[in-house]
Amino acid sequence: MTAQSRIDAQTNLILRIQIVWRGLVALLSAISIGLIWLRMMEMPLWQKILLSIVGGLVVVISSYGAYQILKRSHSGRMVSLVLDYLGFVVCFVFALNVGEFFIGIDALGENFGKGIPYLGITALGYFLGMLEEYFPVKNKNEESSLKSVSKWVMLGGFVLFLWQVNALNGIIYFLGKLTQPSGLIAVTGLVIFGMSLWSLSRPNVAHALNVKTGHEQIINGWLFLSPNLLGFLIFFAGPLLLSFYFSFTDSDAIRTPNWLGFDNYSKILNIKFSRLDSPDQLARDVVDIKVYDEVGRFTLGNTGILFAAADKFFWLALRNTLTFVLFAVPLSVIPALLLSNILNSKLPGMKFYRAVYFMPSIAAVVGISLVWQWLYNATIGYINYFITLGIEFWNNLFNVAVVDPKIQWVSDENTALFAIIIIAAWQTMGFNTVLFLAGLQNIPGELYEAATVDGAGAWDKFWGITLPMLAPTTFYVVSTTTIQAMQVFEQVFILMNPPEGPNNSTITLVLYLYRSGFQNFQQGYASAIAWVLFIVIFGLTLIQFQRQRRSSIYES
Amino acid sequence: MKSYRFVRFLSNFGVYFVLTFFAFVMLFPFLYMLSTSFKIPADTFRYPPRMLPRDPVTIQVEGYEEPLPLYFVEVDGVSKEYALAKSNIKVGVYAPADDQTNTVERFISEVKPTGGVMNQQKVTINGEEVKLFDVEVNGQVIPMILVSQTTVGEFIDPQNPESEPIFQNVRLSEPVENISWHPENYTEVIELNNLGRALTNTTLVTVLVVIGQLVTSVFGGYAFARLRFPGRDTVFVFYLGTIMIPFVMLIVPLYQLMVLIGWTDRLASLIIPWIFTAYGTFLMRQHFITFPKEIEEAALLDGASRFAILKDIIIPASVPALATQATFTFLYAWNSFIWPLVIINVGNEKNHVLTLALNVLRGRASDTPNLILAGAAIAIVPPLIVFILGQRFFVESVAGSGVKG
Repeated sequence: MTAQSRIDAQTNLILRIQIVWRGLVALLSAISIGLIWLRMMEMPLWQKILLSIVGGLVVVISSYGAYQILKRSHSGRMVSLVLDYLGFVVCFVFALNVGEFFIGIDALGENFGKGIPYLGITALGYFLGMLEEYFPVKNKNEESSLKSVSKWVMLGGFVLFLWQVNALNGIIYFLGKLTQPSGLIAVTGLVIFGMSLWSLSRPNVAHALNVKTGHEQIINGWLFLSPNLLGFLIFFAGPLLLSFYFSFTDSDAIRTPNWLGFDNYSKILNIKFSRLDSPDQLARDVVDIKVYDEVGRFTLGNTGILFAAADKFFWLALRNTLTFVLFAVPLSVIPALLLSNILNSKLPGMKFYRAVYFMPSIAAVVGISLVWQWLYNATIGYINYFITLGIEFWNNLFNVAVVDPKIQWVSDENTALFAIIIIAAWQTMGFNTVLFLAGLQNIPGELYEAATVDGAGAWDKFWGITLPMLAPTTFYVVSTTTIQAMQVFEQVFILMNPPEGPNNSTITLVLYLYRSGFQNFQQGYASAIAWVLFIVIFGLTLIQFQRQRRSSIYES
Repeated sequence: MKSYRFVRFLSNFGVYFVLTFFAFVMLFPFLYMLSTSFKIPADTFRYPPRMLPRDPVTIQVEGYEEPLPLYFVEVDGVSKEYALAKSNIKVGVYAPADDQTNTVERFISEVKPTGGVMNQQKVTINGEEVKLFDVEVNGQVIPMILVSQTTVGEFIDPQNPESEPIFQNVRLSEPVENISWHPENYTEVIELNNLGRALTNTTLVTVLVVIGQLVTSVFGGYAFARLRFPGRDTVFVFYLGTIMIPFVMLIVPLYQLMVLIGWTDRLASLIIPWIFTAYGTFLMRQHFITFPKEIEEAALLDGASRFAILKDIIIPASVPALATQATFTFLYAWNSFIWPLVIINVGNEKNHVLTLALNVLRGRASDTPNLILAGAAIAIVPPLIVFILGQRFFVESVAGSGVKG
């Protein structure tokens, strides 16, 4: 009672206004729910339901907040802060949208090139400020002058940049848009929610609502996390759920999707093995070719087995992707293990080699694929040229006549996928080398010393110490490389023409997903492929995890 | 002792040999890209391929308007530089009908048909009628048949154009070349093939994504690492669980979301969804959690706000971690391809990023690899420069992620 009596008149007024405001918010959202359903607004049913749920929540929470503030409980303040903050964010985004801020980025792209040099000046100013660390000046005055020069250069560069990209026109346009009715609503909302937030954040008000020491951390925690969390929910978690929903529909990005149940999945997984009387018996003799397409056949003596599937492209893609993983992962991991062991020696120049090996992994895959496309050229490419040189050398050395194969790398269905494997291995090897190197540097040297005392050779040390101690790194390297390899797309898309390669030899799961979703616009089906892909990736990682855990159990 | 040293020398030699071999394998495609991007188209299609870009040399010869290309020509057993004055001169290989191995070569324009144009004589060989020509051999006219044809070029001595010309096959002659670089390939690809606009778009997108992602992950990471609030750990576990989910899972629903908001074909769709990442937040959290708590508590007692602590104490001390994440994000945003491919229309070249422009260039300039590879270099070199500048931070932190993982 004594605490309440000390509340001054101003705070009391704020609290009263807060209660009214909460009630008003609840009332307004209740009215808008009614409007949505009564006036039959033009929007899809799911949007109506979603908006009603959100509105209903606002009604309940806002009324609860009003009641708690009336009771002078701190949870009322928390609830009000959350609601007002969300309202503020919504109004802010709405205002940006009305002012065509997001669309305006395109216009910025038009003039951005002219501004880049001035951004360079800004960066220069920043480095000027950094310079001070490297050349400490004894005189206090000089030190501050360098810093202020850097500040002015940065500011000047940035102002010039803004001027070059026509920022002023953009701002005027933005403000002009805000004077439209919808813009005014957004700005009004911003002001009201902002004022409410400001009033709630006043220490007196917080005190009047019995704030405790831990509450500050709760508020700050959610506040700091909120931009990230909101964006994450809207652009990651939400779409993920949506993808799951789409995989059960025939969504095509235009019409309202129809519920299909498990149809997409059963089409993907519908396969059939049939016995063939002879290895070259026609597929139509043994399966219903209206449903099934031949994917492949295996010969068993005089008979054979036919593998047919309802969606043959999926199974071809799965076959190619798994083949790719099976070769690309060892090809990029084993040489990396070897190289990292060499780099771990304390010879001079190792940092240089490490940097060189790392270079392929940072270059754009699209650019790299274009380079390799010309390296692979069958008539003028360097790879065939090197092979020719090698064979000539070999023939002269041993006086034999090995025939130059003149491999048609990307246009031959037998080598096309292998060409992609080589690029991928080349590109990830250096990254894996650096990972292994770090793992190696964490192995305590005493282990090796002890082994040397016991008379172990270099080979024994590698098998007995290096490999077991490196097991966690190996697990990390192998699983990340596998996850990445399962998603192979860009190399295939750029290098192959058409992307699925000769006789579908390079169609991969992601490529098939892209083709289904964005060329045939069967987006529901594409979503189902995505989930199958995810399950395959998850399964592979789980297997590796199990193996790693078992091997580490053996160790201990 | 001496032999021990020798063995060590040998093993070191072996080590450097293996390392240099792999370094060559790693660097060769980049060197090839750079050298080809400075070539002229004809040079790129030459076999055997050469590293340095070369141009054919031409020379101005008296009596000719255009400068003439120079070739190596063998005159009296000595190789000399002669100018090609006239090419595509038709030469016939003639032989008597009864002895086709005994051939002579004559310019077709100088050989007359036997019996005149209107009434050319013919012989029958293997049941086929073959035309006869009057060919002069050592002052004697002999009727012969045309066995085959080739073309030759007329080569003249540039110092003495009036002297006796040399005739020989142009394609088999080696042109005189000098090393010359063609940086204009880059200006051509930037101005004519939309790579300039794509470059600025990519830069804009990358800069905004890097800044946006740093801001959201610093705040999120700090909240996860330092602030205690109910629900924090649940959300964090949720974040961790999604790190493994590959991006292709989201491509369809995110596309539909962009259609709904109206951001298809807009640069905004390449920026806004990318500034919120679970992985970046996780990395920042891992970094902030190692930061000593005592400094923060002291600042709190002095009445500093959480925001002030973050801005004045934690961020200045975290520049290496921030630089690392900025480099990661830079590479990811700069190199991304599948999302722009899906969301930006091929026809809307104004909003193309580099990877998309390269994809278009690949189809458009398939007969000029020098332009394609100049485009590839524009896409590849800036990340390499960023890498070389931030190498120290970057390689160390990649190494760190492996040890922790």
